[in-house]
Amino acid sequence: MYKRKAFMFGYSSKRTFLAHQLGLNLTEFSIVVSDEESFARAKEKGYKNLYLLDVTDDEALESLEVNDNDYLICVMDDHHLNVFLTLSLHALFPKAEIVALSDSRHTSQKLKMAGASKIIDLYQVSANRIHNILHKPVTTKLIEELFNAEKEFSFREMVIPEGSKLDGVMAANFDFYPHNIILVGMIDNHLSKQFIFVTSGLENRFDSGDTLVCIGYMKDLDKFEKFMKN
Amino acid sequence: MLQNIITQFAFFLHGSKRYANTKELFANFLQNQDYHYKKYFDVFMIALIVVSIAILVYEVKNPVANWIDFFDIYVVTGIFFVEYLARLWVYNDWHKLVVKEHGKSKFLNRDFSLWTPTKEILKGKLKHILSPTAIIDLLAILPAYRPLRVLRIFVLFRVFKLLRYTKSINQFLSVLGSKKFELYTLLFLLLFVTATAGIAIYVFEYQSNEKINSLFDALYWALITISTVGYGDISPVTPEGRVVSMLVIITGIAMISFVTSVIVSSFSEKLTELKENRTIEELNKNDDFMILCGYGQMTRMFLRYYAKEYENRYIIIDNNKEQVEEALKEGYPILHEDASRHDVIDKFNLEYASITLLALTGSDVANIYITLNAKALSSKIRVVSRASNDNIAKKCYLAGADSVVKPSLIANRMMFVAITQPVMYKAIYAILTGQHLAQLDEINLLTHPKLVGKKIKELTIREHKLLIIGLEKGESREFIFNPSFNLTLEKGDVLLVMGRKMSIEYFKTLYTKKRKVGRYV
Repeated sequence: MYKRKAFMFGYSSKRTFLAHQLGLNLTEFSIVVSDEESFARAKEKGYKNLYLLDVTDDEALESLEVNDNDYLICVMDDHHLNVFLTLSLHALFPKAEIVALSDSRHTSQKLKMAGASKIIDLYQVSANRIHNILHKPVTTKLIEELFNAEKEFSFREMVIPEGSKLDGVMAANFDFYPHNIILVGMIDNHLSKQFIFVTSGLENRFDSGDTLVCIGYMKDLDKFEKFMKN
Repeated sequence: MLQNIITQFAFFLHGSKRYANTKELFANFLQNQDYHYKKYFDVFMIALIVVSIAILVYEVKNPVANWIDFFDIYVVTGIFFVEYLARLWVYNDWHKLVVKEHGKSKFLNRDFSLWTPTKEILKGKLKHILSPTAIIDLLAILPAYRPLRVLRIFVLFRVFKLLRYTKSINQFLSVLGSKKFELYTLLFLLLFVTATAGIAIYVFEYQSNEKINSLFDALYWALITISTVGYGDISPVTPEGRVVSMLVIITGIAMISFVTSVIVSSFSEKLTELKENRTIEELNKNDDFMILCGYGQMTRMFLRYYAKEYENRYIIIDNNKEQVEEALKEGYPILHEDASRHDVIDKFNLEYASITLLALTGSDVANIYITLNAKALSSKIRVVSRASNDNIAKKCYLAGADSVVKPSLIANRMMFVAITQPVMYKAIYAILTGQHLAQLDEINLLTHPKLVGKKIKELTIREHKLLIIGLEKGESREFIFNPSFNLTLEKGDVLLVMGRKMSIEYFKTLYTKKRKVGRYV
């Protein structure tokens, strides 16, 4: 479970799945809607932290008690309103992380300018998906598996704990093969804090606090996580 | 007795695959515009015609060698004659009619007579023989008969024969054909005014004008004047004649303007259609191409990233005029049509080309209908359909879609990962959006045969900064994650690798081209 609070703005029929998944995985998850119909629908689904307010009203937004680093998820169906909301939220809570949904390249640009930290352009991802279906069938299968709710195979990010066996080991010298997992990349906490793909030529040293992103079967990832801690 | 033999022969032909294939081959060369090799036949025939005309022109002033004469009379004309007979042959199938009539007679318990199918066959063949193109074909053969020199003029019909092989002239005629009524009306008016003016000038000028000695001279003058050519060899000398002349000139200008406007308007009306037909023809020349239905955000995004990859091998179909105009502004090939219509998809080379159709409109109903329409026309078309939710996706599969894309679902999953696993999100996002930093790509050993028989540890994967994520076995299609370094690659296997775009491309070139650089174990 994740401790950071998350507020999802908008609850259309297309976003019920997302709300459900977030509700299951986040300790404090709230839905904010601006219309009675969505409010009633969310209430019917059993969401307790529900707000019905005018998202164009700054005073109403301020009342949400958003803390620094909290997630603000902008998924309003009206993309103009979504951009406006992103801008308002960024102005009110500059340290919060805004994740927004976009439906075009132009909207993505506007969302970026409005202060969204992460923008998911559903058509960009879908276009790539079509290309994969046509030209990379094995990749498509793998991605399907990664996104499958009952997956046995996944990506996982793991933070190297204090005193871990990996602490102080050079990335190039550690063999992940016996653990049946693949290191995809890492964030070196002491250096840039940028995600570095292993394929870009990883020459870093593993230190406690660094985050590793690995791919593998769930059971192997669990075992490796235990291995790191012991 | 004879009837029995003919009927049996018809049944023999009906059951013969070789005969059917041969006839189909001839029909493809002669009639099928989508047949890949037809263009070679057309070019060959055009060349023969040009050579034949060149010989005629050369012959006017110079004696020609015997072998050239022989070539013109026997080879060129012989080929034309064979072509004429072949066209007559493929026009209809007499054996089919005989078999059909035989079955019908048997079913109705009546005596079978060859006369009914023969009548039908002859009617069909006669219809073909009397068609303008067949007449031209026949007349193009006649110049070979040397005793009658006058027949040499028929060589000009060989020029007309070019119509069969050149699309642009055909298109020009078909455009004019669409304005048949207006052009006939104008022709009638032209004849009427010419005749009236000719008679009038004949009445007024005969005896006064030494150049008008007959009604023919008068009609000739009228036609030259009305066409505004005005050679000046005959001109009116009487005041009445000059008045007629003025009226004819004014009428002539009006008529020429009218003819021009009719032709121009018919072309502007048909221009889009002609352009679209030409685009389809060009596309049909490819062995594989893509049809994108709907010019919405999804199509735009797809083309933004992959248009170059499919250069000249894709077309968009949209029935919204504004969208069509936008696509044209962006320079994309687009048809202003409804992709769910049978006749629209039928224009494409469904039989010979490998077609991928993307049903990407914003409407689930339209996408399902487009899928059904395409699959009903040809099960070979590969259809990827867009769906807004799981229920629609199921319907798309039922309609025959080979794959379904659910943009909302993908976006939801990405959002979820972005919030719950932010670091991993960066990796997945880069991979899913195909960023250059890290791409997932496949190396099919069928197209990289140099890899067959090699062990994974021999591939210098690390040196090329690549990761082997997995391997799909050729026969079983089993996916092996993180395969052992000792695993030997076999024909048909697919390697799933991750790396920078340039690393993957370089690695691929090492195993497709002759080794020039790099070290191999």
